[in-house]
Amino acid sequence: MEKSNQLSEEQIIQDLLPQKFGRRGMIWTAILILFCLVGAYAYYRQLRYGLVVTHMRDYVSWGIYISNFVFFVAISLVGSLITAIFRLAKVPWRTPLTRISEMIAISAITFAALIIIVDMGRPERLLNLFTHGRIQSPILWDVIVISTYFCISLFLLYVTLIPDIKIMMNVKDKITKPFHKIYRWLASFWKDQSDQEKIRDRIITILCITIIPVAFCIHTVTSWLFATTYRPGWDSTNFGAYFVSGAFLVGAGGVVVAMYAFRRAYKLERYITDMHFDKMGRMLVLLSLLYLYFNVNEYLIPAFKMKKSEASHLTQLFSGEYAPMFWFAILVGMIIPIFVLLFKKGRKPLPMFIVGIMVVVGAWFKRYLIVTPTLLHPLLPMQEVPESYHIYFPSWEEWSISLGSLAGALLIITILARYFPVISIFKTLEDEKEKSA
Amino acid sequence: MSCKCNKEEGCQNNNSRREFLLSGLAATMVAVGCSDKTSPFIPEETIALTGEKVKLLSVDGEVIEIDKAYLKPVPDITHLTNKQEREGMAGKKFVMVIDLSRCKNLKKCQSACNHAHQVHPGQNWVKVLSMDDADHSAPYWQPTTCMHCDEPPCVKVCPVDATFKRQDGIVLIDSNRCIGCRFCMAACPYTTRVFNWEDPIQAVVTDNSMPQENMDSKQHYSCETSLPQKKGTVGKCDFCPDMIRKGELPHCVSACPNGVFMFGDMNEDAVTNGAETYRFSDLIKDKAGYRLMEDLGTKPSVYYLPPVNRSFPFESGLENQLPADQMNHSK
Amino acid sequence: MKKKNQHNLVQLLLFGMLIFFFAGSNIVEAQEKSEPQPVKKYLTLKYFNVANRQQYLLLNAITKDDKGVSPQQNKKFSIYIDSNDPANLIATVTTNKMGAAKAFIPPVQKAIWDSSAKHIFLAETDMGTDDEQTQEIEIIKSKITIDTLNEDGVRSITAQVMKLENSEWVPAPEVELKIGIVRMGKILSAGDEPTYTTDSSGIATVELTKDSLPGDENGNYILAAKVEDNDELGNLFIEKTVNWGVPNQIDKTFFNQRTLWSTANRTPGWLLFAAYAIVIGVWGTLIYLIFQLLKIKRLGRVKVK
Repeated sequence: MEKSNQLSEEQIIQDLLPQKFGRRGMIWTAILILFCLVGAYAYYRQLRYGLVVTHMRDYVSWGIYISNFVFFVAISLVGSLITAIFRLAKVPWRTPLTRISEMIAISAITFAALIIIVDMGRPERLLNLFTHGRIQSPILWDVIVISTYFCISLFLLYVTLIPDIKIMMNVKDKITKPFHKIYRWLASFWKDQSDQEKIRDRIITILCITIIPVAFCIHTVTSWLFATTYRPGWDSTNFGAYFVSGAFLVGAGGVVVAMYAFRRAYKLERYITDMHFDKMGRMLVLLSLLYLYFNVNEYLIPAFKMKKSEASHLTQLFSGEYAPMFWFAILVGMIIPIFVLLFKKGRKPLPMFIVGIMVVVGAWFKRYLIVTPTLLHPLLPMQEVPESYHIYFPSWEEWSISLGSLAGALLIITILARYFPVISIFKTLEDEKEKSA
Repeated sequence: MSCKCNKEEGCQNNNSRREFLLSGLAATMVAVGCSDKTSPFIPEETIALTGEKVKLLSVDGEVIEIDKAYLKPVPDITHLTNKQEREGMAGKKFVMVIDLSRCKNLKKCQSACNHAHQVHPGQNWVKVLSMDDADHSAPYWQPTTCMHCDEPPCVKVCPVDATFKRQDGIVLIDSNRCIGCRFCMAACPYTTRVFNWEDPIQAVVTDNSMPQENMDSKQHYSCETSLPQKKGTVGKCDFCPDMIRKGELPHCVSACPNGVFMFGDMNEDAVTNGAETYRFSDLIKDKAGYRLMEDLGTKPSVYYLPPVNRSFPFESGLENQLPADQMNHSK
Repeated sequence: MKKKNQHNLVQLLLFGMLIFFFAGSNIVEAQEKSEPQPVKKYLTLKYFNVANRQQYLLLNAITKDDKGVSPQQNKKFSIYIDSNDPANLIATVTTNKMGAAKAFIPPVQKAIWDSSAKHIFLAETDMGTDDEQTQEIEIIKSKITIDTLNEDGVRSITAQVMKLENSEWVPAPEVELKIGIVRMGKILSAGDEPTYTTDSSGIATVELTKDSLPGDENGNYILAAKVEDNDELGNLFIEKTVNWGVPNQIDKTFFNQRTLWSTANRTPGWLLFAAYAIVIGVWGTLIYLIFQLLKIKRLGRVKVK
């Protein structure tokens, strides 16, 4: 237990209160906004000229938007992993991680929903999904389950925030003062009474139980968007578990990156300690091994049989034009992290941060590889089409929109962290009390 | 003597008319003579009658009356509601037979289809694929349309009923409904669907002082004609239900000079390429017809006759092949 | 199409140059080989007689060049009977987008029509323009009849073609015709041959070899005899409904199934149940929790009072 016992209540509150952006914070936010604006302009062009501004065509009819969507859905799963599973399993060191992972979940699921609208040829007909919805379609399942997950995540974030907001209202600090009206609206009813606390505790427990199956659903249903087709590489019974395990990995990687970033930015070394990185490192090894296991299943077994429809797809991944990206994703996203994290030194904050980035970047490319190469290998030969239909590399509009969406997700996290504590003050105080008792 | 019998009176009910016919040859002549129809193949209920009559001279020199609608070479069909278009033609089950032994990659099917449906340049609803199944097998040309599956994977995944299966077996798209998610394109194992990535070409075509019919199509969208094409929606071979209603054959069928395509109604057990008409069940039995990717369980409505006793050598079609596709042989 | 990026621009330019090069070389080749084929115009005129009553003329105008065949759209033609005297005008027609036009013989030409057994039909564009096209056909008035026979359980169809000669109906021998069952507007031959020829009495008889064909819901189908593009007689058509088919009920059970490919209002029951159970289960819980949250709120207010 590295955490010192001398931390006073005032000290904790002062440390964990949201802080004004410093110079770095300003630049960071400005960069994110800039990316978002470029993305917005690219989207304007797409609305105006149609999806022709993308490099998607009749064969590669889903491209970087969909892989980005899968990535967002995957990373949003982390909210349930850290908060719900750790809470139900009564993991004692979870407190500094839950809020961060909930914020990541909210922002990622928001942009998952947005990016799928961007992919639509007729976004103005979105309401057709509700007026003419067909429950037989996995898309509708995805719509239902993603909106449900969004609501639960928001609810969970809010319920866990209530006591913290109250604390912030009590602190007559100039940082939080301009927002007191909002805070009051959100949490003025909270009186720190035991009966209130009891109900709140119950709500959180029930939410944690509910969110786990819903979280499994969001990514399983997303995998079914692919697995319900006949395409080589998608036509797999393994897909749901494969996606969920991958989501846990990238989500945990994302949390590690965020932990490190917040620790540095808000000087939270006393709260997010080396111990936390160590524990998350062990987690990450386990999740990498799990995902690796599913990858072996997913690629080795079809490769053993080499069915005609799968063969060209698999050889393109293993040794063809997608081989560099494929092996990059496998090595950087799974193998290297496993080896680094096996060592105690590898689980120190900085190496963990780098490994976290590797996992997230590897995962992003993995999603790209799941979507695109498959579509280049239809069951009937790809003929009678213009040359541009045979290849896919995203256009600048696609890159801008995708990067813009990533920036947007980071912006939401940044803004949430600006106005709400990234570590639960209430829970930290509680933990401290327990410790001293 | 002018025959006053019109649709509202004597010949209104098809059944009663048929029974009447059975009573004898003389009666047949009278009854058929009374019918307004000049082309006996078009289902009467689909013709848009004007209500205005014109007088004309019969073979015997008698003056008879017919509806003005028949003055056109092909009478206009009645305006269908979206509901009618979605339900399809009762009692029909359309089927296509493609005879691979007759195809030499002329691509007349393709150009006729592209022209009729204003398909975007570079895209095709009908593709003629050069197929070569194995190392030592003989290559052949395979025209590929939408299979109009009885268990359509594309329809299964559509979230908004924008693509649907009709009672006559045709799978259509309602471009006024489609949200452009392209799930159907991923789901189709025959990759038959195309997407309108940009503004359709039809706007350009109408500018070139096309005849009036085309201008009309700009205003009214019909799932059966698939016109006008709409940006951001999916398109595909529609089996030309508008042509069927007019008593004609789909464009690819009538455009093929070699009679590769045969179209018909399973409930009539017959298919025709215009010049020849065969009993469907006999044809499939005698020539060992098959369907593509039977193992997927999609149950296509398109049957293929194997490329045996070919009318043309495979090589005769090579000149029409795109240079890029010579490298992309299927194997 | 808008330029995607710099990289593409270069590709496009290169590609453009290639196309230019190839196109250029092709043109040269073509010129070396032969003069470009001049545009040729073709006009066809056909006479139709349906059920010995309605008769009409169908005109078709196309052009042919090296690119292929295309219709002459929106073109005006005048159709005459016997001579191109204005008094003999049948109709002035305009071709549709397929290059086709249709004309009935109007009652005013009754005198001319009745005057002879043989007639000439003429179609022509406005004379004197550089776009002169004419076409004429000669037909003899004719009739076609169809009847059925049933001898010892063997069903046969007979068709007879008669033509008018010196104001007398005489049999038309050696006329090729299709006899069979109407299918998709075409004729499925009743026998084993695709076509049959009339004998000296103008009769062709076909034994029905296509057993148990499906008919309509009562087992009816339509028999037809059709003469196509006969040099003397034009096109003749007659039909007759018979009760020889297998009754074929309109079966919508397949279409009306509740399946995964059915429309939204025919969702399978199990799927609806599962979907509603899950949604109600989860959202029921959430709504319950929202009420719990409101309870917390109420508790807070009560204590303030």
